[in-house]
Amino acid sequence: MNILNRFTENFSKVQPLPAGIHHLQATEDEKPYRLHLRLNNDGSGLLILNAATVLQLNPTAAEYAFHFIKGTEPEEAAKQIAKRYQVDKNTALADFENFASQIHELVSTADLDPASFLNFERVTPHSADSTLRLDCALTYRLPENTQAGYAPVKRVERELSTDEWKTIMDKAWQAGIPHIIFTGGEATLREDLLMLIDHAEKNGQVCGLLTDGLKLADKTYLELLLQTGLDHVMLILQPNDPRSWKAIETIIPEDIFLTVHLTLNRENAAEAKTNLEKLSKLSVANISLSAADNDLVDKLIELQDFASSLQLTLRWDLPVPYSSSNPISIETVDDELPAGAGKAWMYVEPDGDVLPAQGEPDKVLGNFLKDDWEKILKR
Amino acid sequence: MKKLILIVLMVLLTAGLATTASAQDLPYYFQVDKEVVHVYWNSDGSMSLDYTWIFTNQTGSHEIDFVDVGMPNYNFDMSTVKADVDGVPVSVSTSDYQGDGSGFAIVMGNKSIPASGKGTVHVSVGKITDVLYPDDNDETYASAVFAPTWFGSQYVTGLTDFTMTFHLPPDIAPEEPRWHEAPSGFPSEPATGYDSNNRVTYTWHSPTANASSYYLFGSSFPSSFVPADTIIVKPAEPWIDDDTIFSLCCGGFFVFMFLGLPAITAIGAKKRKMQYLPPKVSIEGHGIKRGLTAVESAILMEQPLDKVLTMILFGAIKKDAAKVLTREPLKLEITPTLPEGIHEYEKDFLEAFKEEESPKRKRALQDMMVKFVKSVSEKMRGFSRKETIDYYKAIMEKAWAQIEAADTPEVKSQKYDEALEWTMLDKDYDDRTRRVFNGPVFLPRWWGSYDPTYHPIPTTASSFPASQARPSASGSSSLPGADFAAQMVTGVQTFSQKTIGNINTFTEKITGTTNPPPKPSGRSGGSGRSGGGCACACACAGCACACAGGGR
Repeated sequence: MNILNRFTENFSKVQPLPAGIHHLQATEDEKPYRLHLRLNNDGSGLLILNAATVLQLNPTAAEYAFHFIKGTEPEEAAKQIAKRYQVDKNTALADFENFASQIHELVSTADLDPASFLNFERVTPHSADSTLRLDCALTYRLPENTQAGYAPVKRVERELSTDEWKTIMDKAWQAGIPHIIFTGGEATLREDLLMLIDHAEKNGQVCGLLTDGLKLADKTYLELLLQTGLDHVMLILQPNDPRSWKAIETIIPEDIFLTVHLTLNRENAAEAKTNLEKLSKLSVANISLSAADNDLVDKLIELQDFASSLQLTLRWDLPVPYSSSNPISIETVDDELPAGAGKAWMYVEPDGDVLPAQGEPDKVLGNFLKDDWEKILKR
Repeated sequence: MKKLILIVLMVLLTAGLATTASAQDLPYYFQVDKEVVHVYWNSDGSMSLDYTWIFTNQTGSHEIDFVDVGMPNYNFDMSTVKADVDGVPVSVSTSDYQGDGSGFAIVMGNKSIPASGKGTVHVSVGKITDVLYPDDNDETYASAVFAPTWFGSQYVTGLTDFTMTFHLPPDIAPEEPRWHEAPSGFPSEPATGYDSNNRVTYTWHSPTANASSYYLFGSSFPSSFVPADTIIVKPAEPWIDDDTIFSLCCGGFFVFMFLGLPAITAIGAKKRKMQYLPPKVSIEGHGIKRGLTAVESAILMEQPLDKVLTMILFGAIKKDAAKVLTREPLKLEITPTLPEGIHEYEKDFLEAFKEEESPKRKRALQDMMVKFVKSVSEKMRGFSRKETIDYYKAIMEKAWAQIEAADTPEVKSQKYDEALEWTMLDKDYDDRTRRVFNGPVFLPRWWGSYDPTYHPIPTTASSFPASQARPSASGSSSLPGADFAAQMVTGVQTFSQKTIGNINTFTEKITGTTNPPPKPSGRSGGSGRSGGGCACACACAGCACACAGGGR
């Protein structure tokens, strides 16, 4: 920086930190975690913990989060804050240490209620007006002998190439989207899946895979998948297929976050509790439930209670088949929550077309490859 | 900054029509222990005020029968003025006002504070207009300045803990407004924050203020947040002649070079910085977790575990899944085929009671409670604990309200039976039962399964011992409310003393698993935790908190 710049800087108004996304993968702590910070134009920000917990930050908190992610020493962070804000260094130091302590506490304490114990204010889900997850349907192909109902209707003329998907990952990262989920059809049928996960991980994105899991029963394939840095898997359970159970048994001992999804239908409703018990005995910790039929809602709620008694954690923040009918959506139907589809998450079809969510083929918002992200957002 | 003082007038405490000469002769002499003022700068350009004073009247002084409140101008809407003393509404009057300028008097009436007495006086003014002026330093800003009413120094003794909070117009971003220089005795910069409506606030506080002093507080904010015509523009008046300007220019140049320039540089450095508000973190999550049972809600509310176990017992009995054979020791007859709709925790509870040996049963009950607490935690994941607790407290109050509103003892008892588990969530359950049932309580149909000594007496009986069930005209039996409440409490005591032993030890064994104490942190800095007095590391939903276990 030359003297003139320094002189000018000392007399110009301090501006918020530039908009952008910053990433931290912490492995030194007892519990490894990932943080993504999205800084907005007005200086406010979003801090996303392990691609699941979303914290909305005012400009001051966003600056502290920035220093937290960059690993700035507390004294130095306080000095920089005091230089940019009308605050003394001691106050800034105390606030920074308190902020860092809260984040550590949130990461390290299971089941902590942040509103009660960290004085965080609660805001409604998806109220930040930011896209945080992209569900990428790499293909609509399905394994042989699979019921067509397990995949969205085929309506695309071609599948994007590996490089085109990589471009989409990069565009998504530049747009501040920190979470990518690879889905289908059956995503594992794409031979370049490992390459795409690797690419997104190198960007800094959290990656998840939505799959029938059959291919993951092959230990060699699973090992390769894990080496890419894949963060989580959601396996769609087919209770009557022994291969599905075999896949779960293969994945469980590995160091990856597994959620098993069960779509309740008339055929499997009677056996649903038995299947949950079986999952519990296999040491599955996370499940996801949805109903294929609205008549099964009561059964779904009963199943949710049963899952709680087995201490199976219910996940509802991942894309699932028939996701409009899940225990949380049923429960919060009167809460007038902002819609997440088309805002907090978007769905990209195999040809790059963007839909608000899976199963909404009539609402094409644009093409991720060809169109500007801002333009897609405005639709 | 143009010192546009928006207000204030000296407030006099004036005597009303005294009934005796001696009373009239006494001087007003009081201490204002605390004064809290909220000033709301509204988006329509108006201002709202809210004053709270805590007075301690001095021995041998005149009772405080009127409080005069000065207003910044005459444009206040008297219909929006509301006052109360210790929460009891009192009247207000402009004709009783005896201060200078504009204002009104709070007429204390029978809430007058006698000598040596203490009282909290609260008044709010909903709308005052013509209170904003242009900011001299920035024409795009509006200046909002206010000095609260003060009392005559001859009437006031001691120091006042004084808090003034400005609530800036809605939707102003924290970096947009500016505060003015603080009055003497207050920190140079106010504490900044947000109020419950997410409005930016500036708060000035001094524990050693004086209620007879004049304090001027100010802020400026972009004028775009209020209608342009609400900002009063006064024509500029020349205050200095040309000769004086010339003299000042000559002499002032040197003063400026040696004193003014460094000062301006320092001020400039401060002004170019962004305004600092404390870091604020909000978390996205769901609100109320609906669909919990009363027993699950009891876990969430950290009710004592012996009470929770009693509630589970009642639930099982009501569903005809169990019957009490003896109370001491507590023995249950468990239905071989459990009925429909029985909960998992009820099943586990009954399973635990199949254990004959006391230590084994206690262990089984502990295991059952650990599992139950964890299952409530799972259910609560992603939902707000606080909002959910408030929701179930409201259900409990609604249950009581329905019982209290019932016309006849029969209906009252029926409602009570329906909502029994919800009413048990009340910490004041037994006393409230006694209060609500000053007549008889008609026993529910399952009462015989709970009380092994219970034998309904035929309707032909002519007299009944106080604690014995009596038949009603409808054929159901009744107990006096006090006896009924006592029986319910006995159920809890039975658990506490006969089944699980020391409740604190029992609770600790459960919380040791569900809420293990946190590992000591090597990091510096405050944790930011709120609350206190509770030793347990209560982490979220299903917190069977040890400190909540003993209190009944």
